Amino acid sequence: MNRIGQLLILLSLLLVLSPAALAARIEISSPGQQSIPLALTSFLPAKGSKTMPELALEIRQVLEADLDLSGLFDLIDPKAFLADARRSGLLSSQVDFAEWRLLGAEALVKGSYRVEGDRVQVDVRLFDTLGRRMLTGRRYAGKIKDVRRIAHTFADQVLKELTEESGPFNAKIAFISNRSGRKELYLSDVDGKDVVRLTDHRSIVLNPDFSPIGKELIYTSYKNGEPHLYRKEIYTGKEARISRQKGLNIGGRYRFDGREIALSLSRDGNSELYLIGASGSIHRRLTNSSAIDVDPSWSPDGDQIVFVSNRQGNPHLFIIDTAGGKKIRRLSFRGTYNASPSWSPKGDRILFSRLEGNRFDLFSIRPDGSDEQRLTFGAGSKEHPRWSPDGRFVTYTSDQDGKKAIFVMRADGTGNRRITDAGVDSIHPVWSGPWK
Amino acid sequence: MKRLTLTRFAVCAAMIVLLASGCAKKPVAEELTTPATQGVTASETTSDADTGIVEESISDSTIAEPEVRGDDKLAITGLERIYFSFDSFVLGPEAKQTLENNALYLKANSSVKVRIEGHCDDRGSDSYNLALGEKRARVAQDYLTSLGVAAERQSIISFGEEMPLDSSGTEAAWSKNRRSEFVAY
Repeated sequence: MNRIGQLLILLSLLLVLSPAALAARIEISSPGQQSIPLALTSFLPAKGSKTMPELALEIRQVLEADLDLSGLFDLIDPKAFLADARRSGLLSSQVDFAEWRLLGAEALVKGSYRVEGDRVQVDVRLFDTLGRRMLTGRRYAGKIKDVRRIAHTFADQVLKELTEESGPFNAKIAFISNRSGRKELYLSDVDGKDVVRLTDHRSIVLNPDFSPIGKELIYTSYKNGEPHLYRKEIYTGKEARISRQKGLNIGGRYRFDGREIALSLSRDGNSELYLIGASGSIHRRLTNSSAIDVDPSWSPDGDQIVFVSNRQGNPHLFIIDTAGGKKIRRLSFRGTYNASPSWSPKGDRILFSRLEGNRFDLFSIRPDGSDEQRLTFGAGSKEHPRWSPDGRFVTYTSDQDGKKAIFVMRADGTGNRRITDAGVDSIHPVWSGPWK
Repeated sequence: MKRLTLTRFAVCAAMIVLLASGCAKKPVAEELTTPATQGVTASETTSDADTGIVEESISDSTIAEPEVRGDDKLAITGLERIYFSFDSFVLGPEAKQTLENNALYLKANSSVKVRIEGHCDDRGSDSYNLALGEKRARVAQDYLTSLGVAAERQSIISFGEEMPLDSSGTEAAWSKNRRSEFVAY
């Protein structure tokens, strides 16, 4: 064997054994395609701490659900765990890596907690068992009631470490539900927990969108009898009516910088797309057609908008330049009813729903009209897809379990799970940015 | 065919009773008031079927029956809703006939103003349905105006798919929900 051959063998050995080996295996674009065997241990009380098994369990369950949804891991059955799972040492010198590798684990998460009064400190670390070293470690301090957020935050950190992009789990999903008897705006964690009602309009609230800057939402409400556009500051509760043009003020979507909103107004007697300022002043009318023009969604650079129009007969997707020029390009050609498009945060794909038989399913397509893919199958009507801010996950509605409920899944259509009660209607989900 | 005729006869008979007793415009008020009581209770109400919305035995075909519509004056006892096909805001012959009767009523009651509400079934984009509902309201308004009802007496609003008459999700329910309502005030 020549020297180059030996070098190659050495290099590949290094790749396998080095800490970079784990990270190098993962691609951002295709969650669910590759999976790393991961051992997620129960969190143990730190020396001298009160023991709270239910707290430890909650942290572990939140982490497990997030990491499972990420599609990056094969979770190893805890029943197979050996002695090291019961040892609280978190230093890499204290971890018995050989034992974990015996179980086939390539990644390992261990953690501990310390409870004092109503406060908790959580230490958690991700190890590469092949490289025998810690990849990332974090210490979180907060109230006991914040442990779910702490777990979501570490799940984001795990994804950041392995894919170089943070996960979207420490975030919120806003949605509309009629659980009070009327359609109101709600906010929950991305796993559907910690639900808070944000409006009490006792009317009809619809179609929220998060401001990309600050913790604010816009939505349409019939609070004053007509469908006007409102903005609410989530923590102060302060609400302002920002567009009350005659007729419809619907489907508001912020531009990436939050400085402009695309929406449909029917002040001209028919729904047209408009751009308005964040306080409601009209900047530009984009469409001019006797057809229905609704459901705008911005490209991430703000240069284009995909929307729904029946200008050529049935509802189809079209793309328009926001700078004017009036050039409108048709995007969808299949099916008889294509609706609720959502442009991905990376710009490469557009999600939408399409009537298939007597129900809707979710599809994605490139903005140039190529590579259409069907994402959902099986029972139920799936509608209103929206991306997670990192573009790796999707939230949408499905009535497959009863009423319309909010679901999340990976962007390739795998891993779908329901996050709201199937006994009440919940619709129009939208995924927030990082919730710091 | 015989069964169909019998059914039609029965439904027509029911329709005449309804019209004669002046019930035809009542359901509109019921739809508007029942959700309010729901809102106050704010309970564990989960099903749309619990909202107390009254279903009527009126369908497109019954309204189409000329013997109900004829030239007798039964029809102008109140404002009646009109129905549309899926993803359509085109007025069919039945809808036009109903609108002509509604116009007669409005001309006979010149102090009455009317709010025309456009509604859709719940399939498809909510935004699209809001826009479609508006077109259903506007096409009715335009027709009433062409029949001589002053435009100032009419206003329009769309509720899209938000206020279904029947939430059972069947083909029959959907066709009942694709409508324009006429609310006098």
